[in-house]
Amino acid sequence: MTIPATTRPKASESGKSSKDGSLTPSEKKYVSSDDLYRHSSQYNLWSFTQAQLDEMRRAANEKGRKAALQRFEAARSSAEAENPAVFAAHGEELTSNMLELITYEEEQVFLRFICLQIIQICAHFNMPTQVRATAMSFFRKFYLVHSVMEYRPKNVAYTIVFLAAKLENYFILIESFCTRIPKTKAADILGLEFEVLQTLQFTLLVHHPFRPLWGFFLDFQLALLHPSPVMYDVSVDTIGKLYDQAKTWLNEYALLSDAPFMFTPPQIALAAFYDCDKRITDRYLRLKYLSEGPDSMETIAEEEEDPAVSKHKQTQKEQYDILVKTLKRCIVVAKQELPTSREESAKIDERCFFILSPQKLLKKKIKAFSA
Amino acid sequence: MKFDGTTLHKYTKEKKVGEGTYAVVYVGKQEFSHRQVAIKEIKTGLFKDGLDMSAIREVKYLKELRHNNVIELVDVYMSPDKNLNLVLEYLPCDLEVLIKDTSVVFKSSDIKSWLLMTLRGLHHCHRNFILHRDLKPNNLLLSPDGELKLADFGLARAFGSPNEDLTPKVVTRWYRAPELLFGAKHYTGAVDIWAVGIIFAELMLRIPYLPGKDDVDQLDVTFKALGTPTEQIWPNVSSLPNYDALKVYPLPSRQELRNRFSAATDKALDLMIMMTQLDPSRRFDTTRCLQDDFFLEQPLATSPKDLPTKSSGGDEKRRKTNA
Ligand SMILES: Nc1ncnc2c1ncn2[C@@H]1O[C@H](COP(=O)(O)OP(=O)(O)OP(=O)(O)O)[C@@H](O)[C@H]1O
Repeated sequence: MTIPATTRPKASESGKSSKDGSLTPSEKKYVSSDDLYRHSSQYNLWSFTQAQLDEMRRAANEKGRKAALQRFEAARSSAEAENPAVFAAHGEELTSNMLELITYEEEQVFLRFICLQIIQICAHFNMPTQVRATAMSFFRKFYLVHSVMEYRPKNVAYTIVFLAAKLENYFILIESFCTRIPKTKAADILGLEFEVLQTLQFTLLVHHPFRPLWGFFLDFQLALLHPSPVMYDVSVDTIGKLYDQAKTWLNEYALLSDAPFMFTPPQIALAAFYDCDKRITDRYLRLKYLSEGPDSMETIAEEEEDPAVSKHKQTQKEQYDILVKTLKRCIVVAKQELPTSREESAKIDERCFFILSPQKLLKKKIKAFSA
Repeated sequence: MKFDGTTLHKYTKEKKVGEGTYAVVYVGKQEFSHRQVAIKEIKTGLFKDGLDMSAIREVKYLKELRHNNVIELVDVYMSPDKNLNLVLEYLPCDLEVLIKDTSVVFKSSDIKSWLLMTLRGLHHCHRNFILHRDLKPNNLLLSPDGELKLADFGLARAFGSPNEDLTPKVVTRWYRAPELLFGAKHYTGAVDIWAVGIIFAELMLRIPYLPGKDDVDQLDVTFKALGTPTEQIWPNVSSLPNYDALKVYPLPSRQELRNRFSAATDKALDLMIMMTQLDPSRRFDTTRCLQDDFFLEQPLATSPKDLPTKSSGGDEKRRKTNA
C-alpha cells in the first residue's frame, strides 16, 4: 500500500537513455518517495512478517545451540587429553549436560535487556537520536541472524554503538570510547566491526521514522490549520505537542520493537501520531484520503453521483480503511511488552560466558573433582 | 560449480592502477564470472579507530544507489591481512583525463551528454537524500561504452536531518560553492550543483574555470569571475562565518560571459548561469536542470557509445595512474 512519505514534491525520473540511444531528458516518469523506499536495502533485505521474524530467531537460537555443543565437544577432547585420570573417573559428569543452553524465550528477553542498555550507553555519550536509532536497528538485525550463544551481546552492543556513531557523523575516538566504558578493550570492540558489517550485508543506511514524522508534522499544520483551523481546539501548539509526544513514542516503543522490520518509516510515523492522538490524526487522514474538506458534509455525499466519481470515492474509502488497520497493527507490534529484569539477565549473561568459553567451565569442574 | 559464499567472493588482483589518499586501487577479476573489476584496498594504519570511516561511508551510500550513472559497488570483503576491500565496477577512464588530452576534440553535443549523465547520477543521489560533496572531473569515471558514472563517495553524506551541523571543508577547492567558502554549516544539494556548473564550464574551456591557489585565493578567483555576493543578491550572506573584507567585484555582464564562453549557445550559458548562482537558494536543483531547454536544443546529446573515450592509438588506457 502506498502512503505519501512526506509532503515533499515528487522528483522526476530521467535515468535512462531512450531506445534510439540518444539521451533525452524529456521522458517524465514520476517516482514517489515511496517508490524510492521500495528500492532501499531496508525494504529489500530487512522487511519481514512476524512469522518470518519468529522463524529466523528460532533458527538463530538453534544455530547457537549447535555451535555451543560443537565448541564444548572440542574443549572436552582437549581437556580429556590433558586430564585422562579425571575423565576416566568422572567422564559421564563432564558432558555437554553441564552447559545451560539458552532457550529461545530466554534469548529474546535477554536481547531486550541489552537493547535497553544500548539506550543507556548512547545517553552516556550524549549521542543524537540518529545514532541511537541506527545502533538499535543494527543490533536487532544482528540477532536475527546470530544467537547470544555465538556472540556475547554486550560486546556486540559496544561495537555497534561505536560503528553507528562513526556512520552517523558522531565519531568518537576509540580510546575515549573505551575509557568511558569500564572494562572494555579497543581490540574487542574493533575486532567485531567487520563481523557486524558482514552480518548487516553491508547495508548501513537505515531509514528511521523521524524524517517522515517531521514531514507529517508540517503537513498536519497545513491540512488542519490552513487556510483556517479545521478543529476548534487544535492550534499550532497542539500539533507541536503532539509531535513531541509522537517522537517520544518512536523512541520508547517503535525503535525497540519489530515495527521497523514490518512497516515502512512513514507508516510507523503515522502510527505514532495515531496512538498519541487518535482524534487529530484521524481527522488528518480523513482530510487527506477521503477529501473531506471542512465543508464536505453528508448532504454532499447524498447527492446523485457520477458512477466514476463514486467508484473513486469507494477506493479512497478502502485505502483509508486499510491504512487505519495498518496503523493499528503497527501500534500493537510497537507496544508488545517483554518484561526483563537485571537479575535474570545477569544470570543469562553468565551462562553465555561459559557457553562461549566451555574450557573455563570444564576447568572449574575438573578442579573440583581433582581437589 | 557451486556459488556458495566462498566462490562468489573470490577475486584476483592483477595490477595496481591508481592510488588515492586512503586507498590503493587494483584492476582484477571476479574469479567465478571473470568479470573485470576495480578493487579498492583501503590502506591500514592511517586510521587507528577500526574500519576506515571514508570507506564505510562509501559502502553505506553506494549500497543504496543503483543507477546507470553511479558507480556500482560489486562487493566488499576483508583480505586475510585484515584489509578492507571494496570491489567496484572497473572504469578505465575519467573526465579529467579527457579534458587534459588536447588531442581529443569535444563537440558541443559531447559536453551536453556528459553533463546530462552527471546530472542524472546526481539527481538519483539527491532524491535519495545523499549529497556527494566531492564532485570534480576526476571523480566522474567513464566506462568503455561511454557511460559516465559518479564515483568516490568517501565524503558523501545524508542530508535533510534538521538541526545537524555539516562541515564546510568539503569539495575539492576549485569546485567549492561560495556558501562553503564562507564556512556555512548548513547547506544542501546546491553545493553539488555548483560543482557540476563549474565542471560544465571546464568542459567548454578545457581548463579549470576557477583554479584558486589556496582557500583565500579561491574566494578571489570565484568572485572575480562571477561577482561578489552582496546582501542584495543573496540575503543574509554577510552573516556567514567567513564573509568579511571582500574585494567587491561586479557581477559579470552577459557579454563578458559570452566572450569567455565563446562557443556556448545562449541556452548553454543560461543553464550554466543558473547552476552557478551565488545564492544557493536561487541555484537550479537537479530536476530543474534536467528539464532545461538546453537538453532539447540541437544538437542533442551524443549517445554514450559515440563519445570520445581516449585519444586514438595505443591500447594502453590513458588514465593517470596517480592522483
Ligand atoms: N572504478 C575504478 N576503475 C578504475 N580505476 C579506478 C577506479 N576507482 C579508482 N580508480 C583509480 O584509482 C585512483 C585512486 O582512486 P581513489 O578513489 O582512491 O582516489 P582519488 O579520488 O583519485 O583521490 P582521493 O582519494 O585523494 O580523493 C584513481 O585516481 C583512479 O586512477
